[in-house]
Amino acid sequence: MSEHGVRIQLDRVTKQYPRQPEPAVDNVSLDIPAGELVVFVGPSGCGKTTTMKMINRLIEPTSGEITIGGENVLALEPNELRTRIGYVIQQIGLFPHMTVRDNIAVVPRLLGWDKARITRRVDELLELVGLDPSAFRDRLPKQLSGGQQQRVGVARALAADPPVMLMDEPFGATDPITRDKLQNEFLRLQKELRKTIIFVTHDFDEAVKLGDRIAVLAEQSHVAQYDTPGRILAAPANDYVEGFVGSAAAIKQLGLMHVGMLTGLAELSATSGLPTVRSRENARDALDIMLRAGTSHVVVLDEQGDPRGVIGFEDIAGLLREEVSRVGQDA
Amino acid sequence: MSVKTLDTAYQVTPSRWSRRNLTVPIGLIAAVAVLWLWVSSLNLDSIEARVLNAEAVRRAVVDHILLAVSATLLVVAIAVPLGIMLTRRWAKPLVPVVMALANIGQAVPALGLLVLLALWFGIGFKIALIALVVTAVLPVLRNTVVGIQQVDQSLVEAARGMGMRASRILRLVELPLAVPVMLAGLRTTIVIAVGVATVATFVNAGGLGDIIVAGIKLQRTPVLITGGVLTAVIALGLDWLGGLAERLLRPKGV
Repeated sequence: MSEHGVRIQLDRVTKQYPRQPEPAVDNVSLDIPAGELVVFVGPSGCGKTTTMKMINRLIEPTSGEITIGGENVLALEPNELRTRIGYVIQQIGLFPHMTVRDNIAVVPRLLGWDKARITRRVDELLELVGLDPSAFRDRLPKQLSGGQQQRVGVARALAADPPVMLMDEPFGATDPITRDKLQNEFLRLQKELRKTIIFVTHDFDEAVKLGDRIAVLAEQSHVAQYDTPGRILAAPANDYVEGFVGSAAAIKQLGLMHVGMLTGLAELSATSGLPTVRSRENARDALDIMLRAGTSHVVVLDEQGDPRGVIGFEDIAGLLREEVSRVGQDA
Repeated sequence: MSVKTLDTAYQVTPSRWSRRNLTVPIGLIAAVAVLWLWVSSLNLDSIEARVLNAEAVRRAVVDHILLAVSATLLVVAIAVPLGIMLTRRWAKPLVPVVMALANIGQAVPALGLLVLLALWFGIGFKIALIALVVTAVLPVLRNTVVGIQQVDQSLVEAARGMGMRASRILRLVELPLAVPVMLAGLRTTIVIAVGVATVATFVNAGGLGDIIVAGIKLQRTPVLITGGVLTAVIALGLDWLGGLAERLLRPKGV
């Protein structure tokens, strides 16, 4: 039912505003593989949003080339281009005077879909983002909670099934609990849809959680490091990236490792009284459980809830060492 | 570029529909009834009787409403497109110029303007209409500009990001969301038009000014009061209709 993502390439893209000494975005080249979620992370004002907005030409690049699926973006009519790129902004931007249905139907209407097709699509999308169509279709944005509005915003961006999505701090304005929930749902959704997504945030933890790759951007959108979260955590390219990763890089890295990945689980013996962890949870959760229970080991349960083995502090520390040395060899 | 450069917009008063809204028309009808009873209870002298005969009063009221409503419609026809134009990016430099002109239009005494126009162009309904439009154009113009400018820019950006053209954004996003502010301006324009239409009498354009001026000149209090009360009733009545329109046309969800 849905179109998968396509590759996006930025080639020496520069944005120079008139009467400014320095370009806002200076000579950026990035290759974003099809179907991946790439996070642009960097401090406020580093040009990450500007870089993203050049892809749907809300901001026109001064020089350089951008292609989406091999097609030169600058050769396309901007409005036509934008109907093929999902766009989600931090303020969500739902039109307050339109129902949920009309909000989602904006791009399909621009594309001239017939009424029946729009109705079907709206319901399908509402279900996709976990909102009951019959309950939510005719509501106005002000009748929705922040999290629900954000879901509708995502549904609206997905309306015409674009291969590419641009998301500008979409979860930035939500409370931590809602944000965590939205992030998890969004990851589940992306697993299914495999769109090519560019996601802008200044929150490095969010980048680690969501990104297939992370582009750490410095002033003028200079790419300080462009790699997988695991490798950025294990081997930051320079002091700038290290500063951005912040403290507790190892702990953050544990968050990327599933307990189920641990090989050679110790034999089960005398496990009574030990805390348990599900195999799909990550090593960070496992460590947390151990620390809270005051034990040095934890029992790993499989999907059915049956014990599979035991892991301890040493296993987790070893896993981390292995990962670091593996990344070191690759680099 | 903001509301500040344009001073503040005329107040938007959001209020919900309720039975209370009928108190205004009922009150106005009662005021007219009391006026009528009071005037008929008086022993009018021949001068008063001539000015206050039913036919003369009816014509003055009709002329007055006609003048005020025509002026308001003309203001809308001029100020709404002009206001929309001023919010387009290319017209930015024009905003202070046009606003200054409209401000002058409102600040200049209507009577003085009317006299000047009459000296240049003669007298009659059209001249009164022009003076009224000049005097009453500012509220609609300013509120159209402010109404569109106050639309949350993130909504405009979301619309652009989805591939909507400027004309479509204007029609589907900016104008619907500007409607409440624009209608508030319209109400102010109506009230100004009804009030200022009283000076139309000086260019022989009829209206309740005829009755008021006759009352002053001939020192006949009942005549003066009749003209004044009827003018106020028309102003409040049209303002009430404007308020009704505001409630009915306000987009849901705003």
